[in-house]
Amino acid sequence: MLSRLVLVSGGLVQASRSFHQSSQSLAPVPPLPEKGGKVRHGIFPEELFTLLYPKTGVTGPYMLGTGLLLYMLSKEIYVINHETFAAASIGAVVIYGIKKFGPSVAAFADKLNEDKVAKAQEVKDQAMASLAQGIEDEKKEQWRVEGRHMLFDAKRNNVAMLLETNYRERLHMVTNEVKKRLDYQVQLQNLHRRMEQEHLVNWVEQSVIKSITPQQEKESIAKCIADLKVLAKNTQARATV
Amino acid sequence: MMVSFFDQFASPSYLGIPLIAIAIALPWVLYPTPPARWINNRLITIQGWFINRFTNQLMLPLNVGGHKWALLLASLMIFLITINMLGLLPYTFTPTTQLSLNMGFAVPLWLATVIIGMRNQPTVALGHLLPEGTPIPLIPVLIIIETISLFIRPLALGVRLTANLTAGHLLIQLIATAVFVLLPMMPTVAILTAAVLFLLTLLEVAVAMIQAYVFVLLLSLYLQENV
Repeated sequence: MLSRLVLVSGGLVQASRSFHQSSQSLAPVPPLPEKGGKVRHGIFPEELFTLLYPKTGVTGPYMLGTGLLLYMLSKEIYVINHETFAAASIGAVVIYGIKKFGPSVAAFADKLNEDKVAKAQEVKDQAMASLAQGIEDEKKEQWRVEGRHMLFDAKRNNVAMLLETNYRERLHMVTNEVKKRLDYQVQLQNLHRRMEQEHLVNWVEQSVIKSITPQQEKESIAKCIADLKVLAKNTQARATV
Repeated sequence: MMVSFFDQFASPSYLGIPLIAIAIALPWVLYPTPPARWINNRLITIQGWFINRFTNQLMLPLNVGGHKWALLLASLMIFLITINMLGLLPYTFTPTTQLSLNMGFAVPLWLATVIIGMRNQPTVALGHLLPEGTPIPLIPVLIIIETISLFIRPLALGVRLTANLTAGHLLIQLIATAVFVLLPMMPTVAILTAAVLFLLTLLEVAVAMIQAYVFVLLLSLYLQENV
């Protein structure tokens, strides 16, 4: 029956908690205290010492403990038997275990919690970093927009230059083509004149040759010989002088 | 009244109320329910970590069908370890020294594994009775031996736990009595015996944890064969 009482009372504690389903009972969740309750010598809570301090000072609780122990021993309320030594033995094992492994276990538990917090913190930090990066990028884009007109001016200049170049090229081409046509006509005219000239010369030669009679030919040859003789004489005279 | 060393194993009762019920219900009180917080205190963090790790390790060799047993085996392990460790304190009663309790755990759980095996995969379950590679003339004998070994399992489970814990407690009592008696007569010998007692206590702490673990481990092995 005692066991049933224990179970029912435990169940009652649980049941009363489950009735508070509305959010008001759960929030704001009171924060956990940072450290556990302070204890002296591992089991005696500090509150006992502060309770006894005004009346009995610092040694009060120790006197209480010693007195209680001696009273129980002397009145044989607690009898020393073999279980005492077994208790001493297991007590030594427990105290040794707690002293040796206590800090490392506590550090391990703290590390487990810290890892949890660090993971969440990392997510938060990453989100913040990416958002800050986004802000930086946006500012850069805005700065870039301000310089846009320079880009457009440069482009406009480029286009104007291209158009100009193209126009000049076409102008040159047109000039060249026209010059070629005119040269051709000039060459044609020259050709004509030359041909006419040659033809005329030929005709004149032919007619002259035809008109030379043999008498005239002899006379001209004799004249040429006489001229040559005179020339030779002159030359000789000049040479001796 | 003749006080014998076996009085510590008598099931305690007060005014007709069996106190063993309180002794069995006590471990539940020692493990607080994790509250609905994200970060807990150290005790609950370690408790959660340990249970998680242990269940993970235990379920590794089992296939998915065996994972249904995770809650049962983990809670059994926590229960046995707590009861064993609490029994090492002075003036306490250890319920697991009672054969009735251990058989009450071993027989139903073992039977459950056997029945699961026989229902779901009878061929495989019966095939376990004959190890691979036995020479043909040995087969009939071996089947009988394997059947006997199968039925001995619950007995072994229960008796192993009972015997280990009872023997440990008895030894502690005996050696503590020796220290107590020798102290006025031969203090040096008493101190040496106290040293033996200290070592024995260390051993008992280890045995308490190991026996609980072995119990659960063997059950998981039987489950692995059959599920």
